[in-house]
Amino acid sequence: MGCLDIQNLTFEYSTGREPSLRDVSLTIGKGEYVVLCGPSGSGKTTLLRHLKTMLTPYGKRSGAVYLDGTPLERMTQKDQAAKIGFVMQNPEDQIVTDKVWHELAFGLECLGVDPKAMRLRVAEMASYFGIQSWFQRDVASLSGGQKQLLNLASIMAMQPQILILDEPTSQLDPIAASDFMNTVKKINLELGTTILITEHRLEDIYHRADRVVVMDQGRILANDTPRKVGQLLWRQDHPMFAALPAPLRAYYQAGERGEGPITVREGRDWLTGTFENRPVTIPEPARGEKTFPEKDPALKAKGLWFRYEKDGPDVLQDLSVTVPRGSLFAIVGGNGEGKSTTLKAFCGVCKPYRGKIEIFGRPLREYKADRLYKNCVAMLPQDPKSLFVKSTVLEDLREMCREPEKIEAVARTCNIVPLLDANPQDLSGGEQQRAALAKVLLTEPKLLLLDEPTKGLDSMFKKQLADILRALQARDVTIVMVSHDVEFCAEYADLVSMFFGGQILTTDTPRRFFGQNSFYTTAASRMSRCIFRNAVTAEDVAELYLANLEGRS
Amino acid sequence: MRSDAFSKYHPLTNFVFFLGAIGFAVVIQHPAYIGASCVGGALYLLLLKGRKCRNMLLGMLPLVVLMAAWNPLFNTYGEHVLFTVFGRPYTLEALCYGMAIAGIFAAMMLWFSCYSAVLTSDKFICLFGKLIPALSLLIVMVLRMIPNLVRRGKQILDARKSIGKGVGENNSLKQKLHGGMQVLSALTDWALEGSIVTADSMRARGYGTARPTSFRLYHMTLQDWALLAWMVLLAALVIAAGGTGAEYTPQIDIPRPGWGFIAYCLYLMIPSLLHGKEAVQWAVSISRI
Repeated sequence: MGCLDIQNLTFEYSTGREPSLRDVSLTIGKGEYVVLCGPSGSGKTTLLRHLKTMLTPYGKRSGAVYLDGTPLERMTQKDQAAKIGFVMQNPEDQIVTDKVWHELAFGLECLGVDPKAMRLRVAEMASYFGIQSWFQRDVASLSGGQKQLLNLASIMAMQPQILILDEPTSQLDPIAASDFMNTVKKINLELGTTILITEHRLEDIYHRADRVVVMDQGRILANDTPRKVGQLLWRQDHPMFAALPAPLRAYYQAGERGEGPITVREGRDWLTGTFENRPVTIPEPARGEKTFPEKDPALKAKGLWFRYEKDGPDVLQDLSVTVPRGSLFAIVGGNGEGKSTTLKAFCGVCKPYRGKIEIFGRPLREYKADRLYKNCVAMLPQDPKSLFVKSTVLEDLREMCREPEKIEAVARTCNIVPLLDANPQDLSGGEQQRAALAKVLLTEPKLLLLDEPTKGLDSMFKKQLADILRALQARDVTIVMVSHDVEFCAEYADLVSMFFGGQILTTDTPRRFFGQNSFYTTAASRMSRCIFRNAVTAEDVAELYLANLEGRS
Repeated sequence: MRSDAFSKYHPLTNFVFFLGAIGFAVVIQHPAYIGASCVGGALYLLLLKGRKCRNMLLGMLPLVVLMAAWNPLFNTYGEHVLFTVFGRPYTLEALCYGMAIAGIFAAMMLWFSCYSAVLTSDKFICLFGKLIPALSLLIVMVLRMIPNLVRRGKQILDARKSIGKGVGENNSLKQKLHGGMQVLSALTDWALEGSIVTADSMRARGYGTARPTSFRLYHMTLQDWALLAWMVLLAALVIAAGGTGAEYTPQIDIPRPGWGFIAYCLYLMIPSLLHGKEAVQWAVSISRI
């Protein structure tokens, strides 16, 4: 029941690229919770798609996959559909019908389940997932998190023995993602369903896994308990190390060698254990943080009020903010609060009905459209796909600017030179993000607005993005970024603001901002706050740990 | 929409009622019947939507008046000439006929508004899904796609505006057209990309592997059958009683309405009466607490 066996699976895409899977063998026992991780393009999705024949890509293949001892090819399509549940990345496109109840019933309808039995199963699932209150609603009125939960529930209504999830939370905000992961774990514990899941953000699922499998270049690199895998990645100095939870990274970066802590609690135990009888002489990170002149800000907003509909609620309520020139300014806060609207107001897409916006000392209203978006302000939207209108990346860039030198320079900055001839729709999430950024940069903005730039990116793409942003800052570009990604903001932002209730509440440097917060803060900060002050990244913690251990002053 | 007793009946019951109400409204030319149909439709619409439909009702008035006044301009039959327009007689009979046509039009509009409020898309699918399963799934998927496309289109327009490629800023018509075409093609690309995922999701859930059944949200109850029987009985009475025809031109000849008219009124009042009954029951049950 739900026991999966992959034997010597090798696969090559018919498009003739390098083999995407090389001799993969993997056994997953019944009721196990297995996390599959690896860099983008390492073959995770290809592997998952081989576990259900109707999703398997075309190409050359050898090896076999068994479910409970039966090869998949010998199982009927109907059997596979019922026994193997598959949840995909995009919450939106997976949904087939227009009503919640119909979506829940869709799989059962396809399998030809008797209407009476179907009624009961749908009712059961709706109650288990807490969907009753929106059972009769239109799918279009749901939030992203609700949509993905609906996808999960409609798969679970078919009562699969094994549940496969392909980056299910990459399009969700952290709170919704965490809810979703809790539900998956609940399914695993209460129903005994075998779980195989891939994910970029390991923070939420690493400690929940029974086993972690790391893939790289189509091979299985590691296959062990979470702790052992952490140790292995550190020893090999593998790029995937950067994706591990902060407690583990801090532990190994501080020079420890054993099996590291994987939760905040264990991390704190490790720190308190070490410093129980040792004085902490250096409680705070020493590195200075950049300061910015108060005069001459890049953007100044005062008392902004905005709403979308005449009778709707105010999305922005007396919002005021000052963004110093040359800074990387991050705005964090809850979902659906109006952070994206704030950016839209800054670039003139939304017009506040009260209040004043000044960009480089001049009121936004006085800018003509052709002046505002040329060499001044530009925004990268949350979904980079909405910027692509042509069939190759190069054509899309040419739409903005005709000079080949400029295009080449921007392509090099954004690291997309090899992708210029590709169709933008075919690129991976991280590549699309960089191509879209290149397109935006061709307007040569001095004030760049980014809406959730790290959404769906793995840790390596995040690093690349951070490098690009640093390079832009060196050219005196001011960047305002709206993000859920607390860890990214802590590491790379110069100033962080909290958005709540249509306002910007406080603005501070990331160390002080996250150091003071106890809930809305990074894992490293939560883990180290009882020993150190204002250590907000794993690097900070490791550095302080070493410094205090050696007794330097 | 407010809570409504009639909407809670089975879609089949709802559908048969509207079939009758709209069907009678189209074929009957007797002014009393037309008037009753307009009053019944307007009353139920008011009960369904409350004040929200006030604008619609007020907006219909001038249209109806215009339609009534329009007819005699082309139809000059009739004995009583009121005045002449462009040398053509404007007759009382033709005006009455115009009023009847306008009344029929108004009644149809009203009942169709009620119909669309009561028989939502999922009820419609429930009724006809079994007849043509593939088509009903198609309708459901289209209904799902439309709001998606609108939202994405807006997203693309906003994104292009924020990099200075907004549609309004290109001055010439040619540029505007070009910009619009590009947005449209991007939207198509996007939709195609999404439909691949949707197709995968359908196959992964076993679409096409078995003879599909359909989930039923609604069940015919005894009440449904009873109401259906009443409706059929009243409709039969209306037809049996006859006397629903009327002549307007060249001479006005309207028969006296008989007991068939009472049956017709009762038929049209069914949803409003049910609505009223529920309101009264509720008020009574509240007063007992």
